[in-house]
Amino acid sequence: MGFLQILTYLSGLVFVIAFGAKLLKYATMPMHVRWELYPIPHEGKEWGGSFYEEIDHWKKVRHKDHMAQYRFMVPEILFIRALHEDNRPLWYWSFPFHMGLYLCIGGLIFLGFGAFVQIFGMVPENSALASLFQSLTTVFAVPGYILGTIGALGLIVKRTTDSNLTDVTAGIDFMNLIWLGLLFVTGFIVWLQDPGFNVSRAYFQSLLTYGPMKEPMSAIHVVNLLIFIGFWAYFPFTPMTHMVSKYFMWDKVKWDDDPNRGDAGMDSKIKKYLAYPVTWAAVHIDSQGGKKTWADIATTNPWENKDQK
Amino acid sequence: MRPEEISKKTEQLVTIKTEDLAPLPFPYDTYEETPITPLKEEQKKKWEHSLDGVSALTLPKPETPEEEERLVKAFLSGLEKLMTKENNWTFLQPLMLSLEYCAKCQTCADACPAFEMSGRKDIYRPTFRADVLRKIAKKYLSKGGKILAGFRGHDIDLNWDTIARLAELAYRCTLCRRCASVCPVGVDNGLITHELRKLFSQEMGIAGPEIHEKGSVKHLKFGSSTGMTKAAVADIIEYLEDDIEEKTGKRIKIPLNKKGAEILLIHNAGEFMAWPENPMAFAILFDAAGIDYTLSTDLVGYDAVNYGLWYDDVQFARVALKHIEIARNLGVKKIVIGECGHAHKALSVIADRLLPGAQMIPRESSYTLLNDIVKSGKIKFDPSKNDFPVTLHDPCNAVRLMGIVKPQREVLNAIFPPGRFREMEPHGVENYCCGGGSGFAIMSSGNFPDWKRLVSGRKKLAQILNAFQGEMDPSIKKMVCAPCSNCKGQIRDMLESYEVYEKTGIWYTGLVELMVNAMVDQKKPYLEWPGEGDDDDM
Ligand code: SF4
Ligand code: SF4
Repeated sequence: MGFLQILTYLSGLVFVIAFGAKLLKYATMPMHVRWELYPIPHEGKEWGGSFYEEIDHWKKVRHKDHMAQYRFMVPEILFIRALHEDNRPLWYWSFPFHMGLYLCIGGLIFLGFGAFVQIFGMVPENSALASLFQSLTTVFAVPGYILGTIGALGLIVKRTTDSNLTDVTAGIDFMNLIWLGLLFVTGFIVWLQDPGFNVSRAYFQSLLTYGPMKEPMSAIHVVNLLIFIGFWAYFPFTPMTHMVSKYFMWDKVKWDDDPNRGDAGMDSKIKKYLAYPVTWAAVHIDSQGGKKTWADIATTNPWENKDQK
Repeated sequence: MRPEEISKKTEQLVTIKTEDLAPLPFPYDTYEETPITPLKEEQKKKWEHSLDGVSALTLPKPETPEEEERLVKAFLSGLEKLMTKENNWTFLQPLMLSLEYCAKCQTCADACPAFEMSGRKDIYRPTFRADVLRKIAKKYLSKGGKILAGFRGHDIDLNWDTIARLAELAYRCTLCRRCASVCPVGVDNGLITHELRKLFSQEMGIAGPEIHEKGSVKHLKFGSSTGMTKAAVADIIEYLEDDIEEKTGKRIKIPLNKKGAEILLIHNAGEFMAWPENPMAFAILFDAAGIDYTLSTDLVGYDAVNYGLWYDDVQFARVALKHIEIARNLGVKKIVIGECGHAHKALSVIADRLLPGAQMIPRESSYTLLNDIVKSGKIKFDPSKNDFPVTLHDPCNAVRLMGIVKPQREVLNAIFPPGRFREMEPHGVENYCCGGGSGFAIMSSGNFPDWKRLVSGRKKLAQILNAFQGEMDPSIKKMVCAPCSNCKGQIRDMLESYEVYEKTGIWYTGLVELMVNAMVDQKKPYLEWPGEGDDDDM
């Protein structure tokens, strides 16, 4: 096994652990108080209404239109609808950039399928299935490289020239764009050298079989691979993982309008949180440095004058 | 301006000039604006004002470098607590997500009325205060935060200037969360403002005086943020009954502390003082529809407001739990919240997960109940009595943040002749805040009222004027229906400051007043336009 393979495994390992830890961190945070924002698609009211529009809503069975959530989320993720509607000048570059990334990921998946069937001797020259995977790799990856490059370049120019963005853009943001831009450009050059992705597939096969890499790899291909390996390990530590916020902020915050109807799960969480110690230091809180719990301070009225009551 | 510049040693970071402000529509397109009144020299010496020359908090300047240092440390300690589950289980997840993920696209900026109407001043960008907090957290509270801080974009200096400006900046956002509805990655800059206010209040005891000492503290001490005591409420209710008799010719008993009633109705107590016609109209409608309800005169129970919603989770919980306890003691089946937007959200949405389910009590919006009354046919309305143009303001708390959009529209359509009701643009869940959200409507310290007039309330004024273009002749009387006490207060202040009624004939009222005005049984007009009654306020 070569050095590049070891680096690839390591980078994958870092990605899985770091990304998993991030998901776990957010998934295990306490249930917050409700903080929804309308419209909520599952309410099924296109004007943005909620169950509060119905008299005695707590007596009624709730219907959640889950399909409406998907109808909202799919175009949001694939086409970045929010940007398309509210920030078109940036969408012109952000959309090809993201679509380029998605297509490249798609290409990588088909490359993986091709490498997998190749283990069993199925290569594009002798297998229709392998040939299909090879074509799909090309169909996804090549437009992905082109769109990604256009997007990255556009975003770099936009961030350098748009007065709305210059003040909020830091060196690291340019570095990230350049990094991904180089990944797309070198990927494209590798494809020019190897239009059938044969070397890439052989490398993927070597990763799947823990075996040696049989095909020779060009210098630019090595560079492309190193850029990818580095990015894969770096990515989970960056805000570029905003698919995490996209999931949690919509599903668990903006669309979380589940009313408290006394279900056991919610009750036990609330009881647990009310027993948390409070250390807020302002005088009116009167937390006594953590001696009091949320239940204590919330049920105490420091100003209550018994006579008045 | 980069967020890092907030720590700059300078007398004042930004100046709001009237010529920079976004223009207003006709007939204010040529209007000469009165600039923000500069603070007096002695005020400048006493209060922090180095953000934009405005003091909303009358925040005293620290007297010694040691005090400054202590305050800086307190701020950092508060920020740390904000990020722990024990101290902030209530909002930890959305806060941490919003702090970690911002794609720096500035889509939110165009959605923010304060940023837009100020003439796009960078300090009012939704991301500006969020970025400052993010950068402080990264540099001072994360491991290795100071390594390559400049390159990583968070090299910010934490000094007293930063904190004093941030405290004021936390009160330049109305928490309308319009920015959050357009963010492509879900970041909620309104929430970050909310959390920042909490940090200042819960750790450092810093908050808008009108929402803390004169707000939630008074509420818990005397029973109402207006300072109205239990004894005073009973007297006021009697006056209301007299006034109802005068207006309708009928003596109606407003039930107080009636055990076992179906509904506990809670008004924003500000209505009793500023717009008594509103609780009176509720009484007339509920009586006519045969609704079994009661008001409470128990401490806190006669004031639906919950100012903690805007700045302090503990104060919030204290008031919300009181509301629930009172309803339970009365044995009512549900609480109905009067025309007060933030009270709607506070008690219905935010308080929903404060107690185990069995201890909760259903809460309902008065808009929903009023619409049900209209639909039931129990009251006959004659829309021709409301034969004037009307538009509707959507209180953010009840609409974008709670999803109550249709009932108030259905009511208006039932009590106005066809074609008289027109929407503002945009409206519903895309509405703009009145400019008085998050406590601004009642905040009047320092020269903050000028800032509200010129910046936060400007977009709503523009929307109101736009709704009536083509009918600007002051002899055509026009109404803005604002079914929320705080929104009404803010809209009143704007209409008065700009002499809008005199120049255009536009005035404002709540929803129930319009309903009673259209009742077939109501012989005299219930609405009074300015100059018609004894009082200017309706
Ligand atoms: S919550 Fe409203 S006022 Fe505050 S930053 Fe967002 S859009 Fe602006
Ligand atoms: S819209 Fe969202 S991601 Fe874009 S700058 Fe604003 S907060 Fe950040």
